[in-house]
Amino acid sequence: MKALTAALLVLLAACGQGRVILNVDVLSFLSASDSVKSFNVLGGIPQTDSTVSRQFFLPPGFGKSSVDSVTATAAAALICTGGGGNVRFDVFFSKTQGSVFTGTPYLTASSGPLVAGDSVQLLPPTSVSLADTVFNTDTLWVGIRARIATNVGPNMTGRLRLQDLHLRIALQDKLF
Amino acid sequence: MRTGVVAVALALLVLAPLLPRPASAQFSFDARRYGMGGVSLSRDGNARRYNPAYRAVKNRNHVAGAPKFSIPVPIGLIDFLKQHPINQLGHDPMFSPESAAFNPAALLNVIFNPPIFYDVKKAPTPTNDVQVTIGRNQLIVDLGATKVLIPEQDFGLGTTSRLLDAGVGFAGFHVGVMGFLQYDVKFTLDSTLRNFLTNDSTARPNTNYFVNTDGTAQAGFAPTVSYAGRLLRGAGGDDTDDGFYIGGALHYYFGATYGRGIGPAGFTTGTPVLGATPTPLLNGNLYTSNKPFGKGIGGDVGVVWISGPFEVGLGANDLGAELTWDHTKIQRFVFDTVSNKIVDSVTVADTTSKTKLPITYMANAALQMGTGTTVGGDVINSGRGTIIHVGVEQRTGPFALRGGVSRDQRKKMQFGFGGGLRLGPIGLDVGFFTHSNSLSTQRAITMATSISIY
Repeated sequence: MKALTAALLVLLAACGQGRVILNVDVLSFLSASDSVKSFNVLGGIPQTDSTVSRQFFLPPGFGKSSVDSVTATAAAALICTGGGGNVRFDVFFSKTQGSVFTGTPYLTASSGPLVAGDSVQLLPPTSVSLADTVFNTDTLWVGIRARIATNVGPNMTGRLRLQDLHLRIALQDKLF
Repeated sequence: MRTGVVAVALALLVLAPLLPRPASAQFSFDARRYGMGGVSLSRDGNARRYNPAYRAVKNRNHVAGAPKFSIPVPIGLIDFLKQHPINQLGHDPMFSPESAAFNPAALLNVIFNPPIFYDVKKAPTPTNDVQVTIGRNQLIVDLGATKVLIPEQDFGLGTTSRLLDAGVGFAGFHVGVMGFLQYDVKFTLDSTLRNFLTNDSTARPNTNYFVNTDGTAQAGFAPTVSYAGRLLRGAGGDDTDDGFYIGGALHYYFGATYGRGIGPAGFTTGTPVLGATPTPLLNGNLYTSNKPFGKGIGGDVGVVWISGPFEVGLGANDLGAELTWDHTKIQRFVFDTVSNKIVDSVTVADTTSKTKLPITYMANAALQMGTGTTVGGDVINSGRGTIIHVGVEQRTGPFALRGGVSRDQRKKMQFGFGGGLRLGPIGLDVGFFTHSNSLSTQRAITMATSISIY
């Protein structure tokens, strides 16, 4: 991946003054178990997190490139099969694994109150960040978090399926 | 290592099309020549280089009223320095890759088109965005308008140069030593890669994408014996240049060193396309001379016929020039996916190999039609493609009007026109010419200016 993208950037750099637009299908790099998380949380728990983080690679050369803008979009489906509560869906990006979940999520959406049998579509508003230095790197971590708060009563069970996660990174390439 | 290998492979792909710029080999400071579509009516320079018979022809311009020499007026350089002050080059976006306005294509265009003369119309450089879609199952590269820069045929660079030609002569004979340098590098995009970059844009799984490379370089010197003389005299006798001239040279080549590299360079996609790191693809052979003095014999021949206002010449160089290298090492370079390194191994430690110097040639003709009209043309092949120039000049009193066409090494038609004004011993010439030396599909127009001394 790194090799290919590095080569591509060399290619693209010679193509003129225009920007390089990277459309990254982040979801495709996640395994099936990463993109579908089942949960079973005791009733009456005010907050518990179910998380997954994975590293993926961006083309080398980003270190010296200036990132004009980064647009992130995501979609997820949530099914509550038992109990009740709330689920907040968050997406993070970070240069290091240790700091994936420490900042403000790039994308966030809340399910609202759920009871057994509910099924909701989570569509976080598209986020646009300008000159974001997080993306000045060739290795990036993506973090998916389901923050669950359960109602008093039976366990809240369900499944969160990540349906879409895309990045659009516009940059002025500088390889030298 | 993987990054470097593939990057270098594709860097070749990117840079190589920019290199074979025919006009650079034909670069001249003479505005008159540009105004005539590239035709040179002088008997020095290319004429003597390619045609040994011209050694016997008086070295003077054969156009009535032609100047002794020309001095270029570098209006383009003045304009360039105005736009790019020397004291600010460190911060100039053109030369600063860190700048957001840096455009590699524009910089390369400057390199291939030295801004000596003024660009009346610059060839537009691509400025469109390039879209790259990356996913585990897909790799899509949309170059947009930049697609047109992907070469359709093989591309490369190459020439044969004679670095020196020193010696002594007597009665038409000449004994000396000639230095030679020849290189030819050819790149060919594999059809799969070309289709990926220009049409399909979507990489396929488990597929090789590569550029075939074949490059040879050799240099050395050659003791030479040559003869040039006037075989027949024309009606004008010795008082004129009329006559039939012949020339020939015999070279005994001593090759100092040579190297040849051949093989594909690229990458192989996984299954799915980016399910795994693409594997660099490098599998080439390198031939190098272990010891100097590859040997061979070759020759040059040429004829010139001058009859009054008409002159025609034909010369060819390095006929039959094949060098035998008795001590050649053959190495194989392969990218080893296990060690993630380029592994080289000696296939043959010491063997014999042969190289050839390409035959280069020039044919030229000129006719003074009277009433100040001169037409001329030449066909030149310096080792990589043929260039044709045809031009005409009309002189009326102190004024000169010129025009011409040419076909460059890429078989594209180019056009030139211009004029001149002579005031006593000094003249001013202006020539406009089109060229396709830029990183663009469109022609550029340049204005050359020079002062002629009569």
